[in-house]
Amino acid sequence: MEKAIEVKGLVTHYGTREILKNVTFSIPRGMTTVILGGSGSGKSTLLRHIIGLLKPTKGNIFINERDITSLSEIEMIDVRKKMGVLFQGAALLNSLTVSDNVALPVTEHTKLQGSTIDIMVRMKLDLVGLSGSGGLYPSQLSGGMKKRAGIARAMALDPDLLFLDEPSAGLDPVTAAGLDELIVRLKKVFKITIVVVTHELPSIHIIADYAVMLNRGEIVFTGTMDELKMSDDPQIVSFLARRPPDDSLAPGDYLKTITGNS
Amino acid sequence: MNIGLEAVTKNDKKAFYLSGEIDMHSSPVLRKELMKLVDRKITPLIVDFGGVSYIDSSGIATFVEVLKSMMEYGGALRLTGIPDSVMEIFRFARLDSVFDIYESVDNAVAC
Repeated sequence: MEKAIEVKGLVTHYGTREILKNVTFSIPRGMTTVILGGSGSGKSTLLRHIIGLLKPTKGNIFINERDITSLSEIEMIDVRKKMGVLFQGAALLNSLTVSDNVALPVTEHTKLQGSTIDIMVRMKLDLVGLSGSGGLYPSQLSGGMKKRAGIARAMALDPDLLFLDEPSAGLDPVTAAGLDELIVRLKKVFKITIVVVTHELPSIHIIADYAVMLNRGEIVFTGTMDELKMSDDPQIVSFLARRPPDDSLAPGDYLKTITGNS
Repeated sequence: MNIGLEAVTKNDKKAFYLSGEIDMHSSPVLRKELMKLVDRKITPLIVDFGGVSYIDSSGIATFVEVLKSMMEYGGALRLTGIPDSVMEIFRFARLDSVFDIYESVDNAVAC
């Protein structure tokens, strides 16, 4: 299994609170990996570290064998050119049309002619099923269309790595299923490595080849989807069965909790 | 730029053997070379992809642009020797129905 991303001993804090606790795992090249975990498990924080938006307290992150934790902001620009990111709210610029949003990374980072960029933008919009919507502004798009436009922009520079932060969040099941189908097709046709942060079980079963699961800032699982489904780890079983973990306390411990005596 | 465009004449028709990586850095160079041929209204313009190790969306867009310019004077663009990985992208983008695609330069010349 060739590694596209390797995370070693990652520790990070928000203030004094430890968010990621000695996290180590790798992401295989050419596959779709889902980063799973409940709310507050640290998965979005982990994604922000992998794309270089946050610096860890400790540890290393290798992207295509290059340790990005030691790179300057200027050096990161080259690494980011090979990364496409769909942020949770799609993060489109509201003052620009959809076409201009998609064209922006290309005009910023290449010396291509405007006429070539126009064709590239139309191709990317067609790719995500938004042909004919290039002249619209983000405020004129539905939630699903915004996500698709965000993916078109993330794909603008033909990335090797595509990161999607909760792509299905806030979408109805049919729209979410359409987005899952698009993710599967992108991987198949472009052979890119896709990393999806999600906790949407129906999506996971359709898009994922590989899974990394976090709980309270710690890795509880890394492996293929088949291995995930066969796991007898209670945390994984609860997650896949959509069953809340058993947090009930023994009577003695409960008394201590409500009386404040530790 | 590490791309090559070698011209060969076959049966009075010009074929160009393209080689190297066609990416966002080399596409402007390729565009310039192809547009020179378009300005000369060469038709058919046969381009062989046998030596192309990689082509990205800027390269594909460049060929779409060339085709569009050639259509203005009724020119024919014929692409040959397209690797399977590139063909898959062409099919996905429905470009296999836009371009005239041939298996080999000899086939493209014979038409």
